[in-house]
Amino acid sequence: MCSEPSLSPDCHGWRRPGRTLLPLSPLILPMGLLFLGGLALALAQSLGFWLPVSHQGELLDAYKAALAPHYLASMAFSLTIAFVSAGLSVAFGTLGAWAMWNMPPLLQRASMIYKMGLILPHMAVAFVVLILWSRTGFISAIAFHMGLVDDPGQFPAILHSGNGAGMIIAFVAKETPFAMLLALAVLARTDRRLVQVARMLGAGPVRIFVSVVLPRLTPALHTAFIILFLYTLGAFDIPFLLAESRPGMLSIEIYNLYFKRELTDRPTAMALLVVLFVFSVAFIMVYSHVASRLEDRVRKL
Amino acid sequence: MKRLLPLLFLFFFLAACADNETERSGAEKPRGAVAFDPAAADWGQLVEAARGTTVRFYMYGGFAHTNRWIDGWVAPRVSERFGITLVREPMDAPVFVNKLVTERQAGRTSGSIDLLWVNGENFKSLKEADALHGPFAQRLPNVMTWVNPEHAATDFGTPVEGYEAPFGQAQFVFEYDSARTDPPGNYRELLEWVRDNPGQFTYPQPPDFTGSAFIRQAFYAVTGGHEQYLDGFDPALFARNAPLLWAYLNELNPHLWQQGKTYPKSSAELDTLLARGEVGMGMSYHPLHAQSMILDGSYPPTIRTFLMDEGTIFNLHFTAIPFNAGNVAGAMVLADFLLSPEAQLSKFRPENWGDFPAIDLTRLAPATRAEFEAVNLGAASLSPSVLTGSAVPEVDVAYLEALERGWEEHVLRAKP
Repeated sequence: MCSEPSLSPDCHGWRRPGRTLLPLSPLILPMGLLFLGGLALALAQSLGFWLPVSHQGELLDAYKAALAPHYLASMAFSLTIAFVSAGLSVAFGTLGAWAMWNMPPLLQRASMIYKMGLILPHMAVAFVVLILWSRTGFISAIAFHMGLVDDPGQFPAILHSGNGAGMIIAFVAKETPFAMLLALAVLARTDRRLVQVARMLGAGPVRIFVSVVLPRLTPALHTAFIILFLYTLGAFDIPFLLAESRPGMLSIEIYNLYFKRELTDRPTAMALLVVLFVFSVAFIMVYSHVASRLEDRVRKL
Repeated sequence: MKRLLPLLFLFFFLAACADNETERSGAEKPRGAVAFDPAAADWGQLVEAARGTTVRFYMYGGFAHTNRWIDGWVAPRVSERFGITLVREPMDAPVFVNKLVTERQAGRTSGSIDLLWVNGENFKSLKEADALHGPFAQRLPNVMTWVNPEHAATDFGTPVEGYEAPFGQAQFVFEYDSARTDPPGNYRELLEWVRDNPGQFTYPQPPDFTGSAFIRQAFYAVTGGHEQYLDGFDPALFARNAPLLWAYLNELNPHLWQQGKTYPKSSAELDTLLARGEVGMGMSYHPLHAQSMILDGSYPPTIRTFLMDEGTIFNLHFTAIPFNAGNVAGAMVLADFLLSPEAQLSKFRPENWGDFPAIDLTRLAPATRAEFEAVNLGAASLSPSVLTGSAVPEVDVAYLEALERGWEEHVLRAKP
């Protein structure tokens, strides 16, 4: 077939694995070394190999330690924070995108300011939340000067109150613009005449949003939710500034185990990381499966 | 795991660098006399042998003022007086510990390091690996003259036994805002103070270094003093006494900042709470910390430091000589010079470094002592004699670990 020179990729052997892997190697090598190597190292250390001190005890000791009640409580707390933050961000992002899409063009351009949140690093958002919401913070000072509280000490403890509210505020502030970006990208490709037709047929704004806009947005929203949920679950920066002591966020517990405790605690830290990784992969698989089943059903309706 | 790989690369890189270094210094060998046994020589002979040599001083390089003091104040003086060329090599302590332990295992007898800046667990690792030269400290005239032997007998619970010479000192202090409150004088009064000022006190969550030191001192205070813990870790004693500490801390807990539901994660976070006035008391393992925070403008100028009657923890930092040092005589002369009242005074001045003297000021001639007392540490700081008067030592690291674990179980996760 390739007896004469041709520009078709098949004849240049692009399909042969050796030739394909070679040009890709700048991408595959660091990926393989850094990611898979790191994963293998974490797995090995969680089982007690390749440690700075020799491991005494059984193979799965670290996993048993990782399943102690207070780590389970940390895990449950991290999952809750991640679920609530990602859920609220996607909800606010969707509504924001919908509102923006309906604005006149001039206002639409002005509201591009929402992208600010995308540029700010997580750490900066955490600081903003800290400065605004702490007992001696900006909002407390305003409430005091307006006479809403008699003393800054009476300002309700929003941060560090044991329920993760500070972290949720920070995550939602940071992640809503991201959900909005994904939703807007879909809306930009949506034909406005669909909405006009629905309106002519007598649909109210709620009906239009639920029946016309939302189905189109769903795949993007699922993607946004998965990304935000998993990011939040493993995030370190915002919890480092805003998390409470009890229950601790899982990422902080792992950090403490690894860096601040004895060398013999490292397998437990690694076991927690492996559990987190396995959970994340399983979550993506189950979630996409369920999401696609749901969409199929919607399409059949 | 993301952090691990860079660390691993760094390790290989450093290992490679370290090898080069050894070869380099091996090549330019002629330092110190060849057929000279420093262990047998008297001090005069050592000083003579050190003349014209180079001393490589390996030390943590992250403090700019410390580096400046070594290069700008120490180096010219040892060069002028002893003919010693001082070369400062910046290196983190765990890195040179690793290097020396490996060299010891490999039986490498000519090393590149002459003097180390070390303490705590790094000293413990080196001593346990038999990677130190010595004992040498009791042969230094300044150690024998100025150091209180009891004061410098242990380093975080590890017996020093002459394998390192004192260099400087840090001590734990409490901080409070003198414009708002009067400080408590002991741990009993602290409990009352905390009850009277709900939400105004907290401590960094162990295993933070400062928070861990706080519970360690409270442990001494509520169980009858530190003396009983000086002979190494005793599990039975710990099991008997620790519940007293948990009871004390749990009594504090409901009156702490945020009703004790959460703790600052680091001493830096506690600093910001004190700076903003959200709490009325803070703490630090550095006696001049409050003063430098005031000078920064972070703390209000009314912040002062204070101690508890039961005493506060101090630790010393030291210099030590590796087992395979090429220039033992030069290293000993330098270690001795660093401990001279002149060097200790210069090091003590906040504009130079502000590190507290490791020598016993009561042994000094009154005029010299007055010079130490006259150093202006700022209104927020306590004088060295006040601090030394209530200094209590660190105990075996095993206590520290047991306390940190116990705190999580019995205080952090205690059912209210």
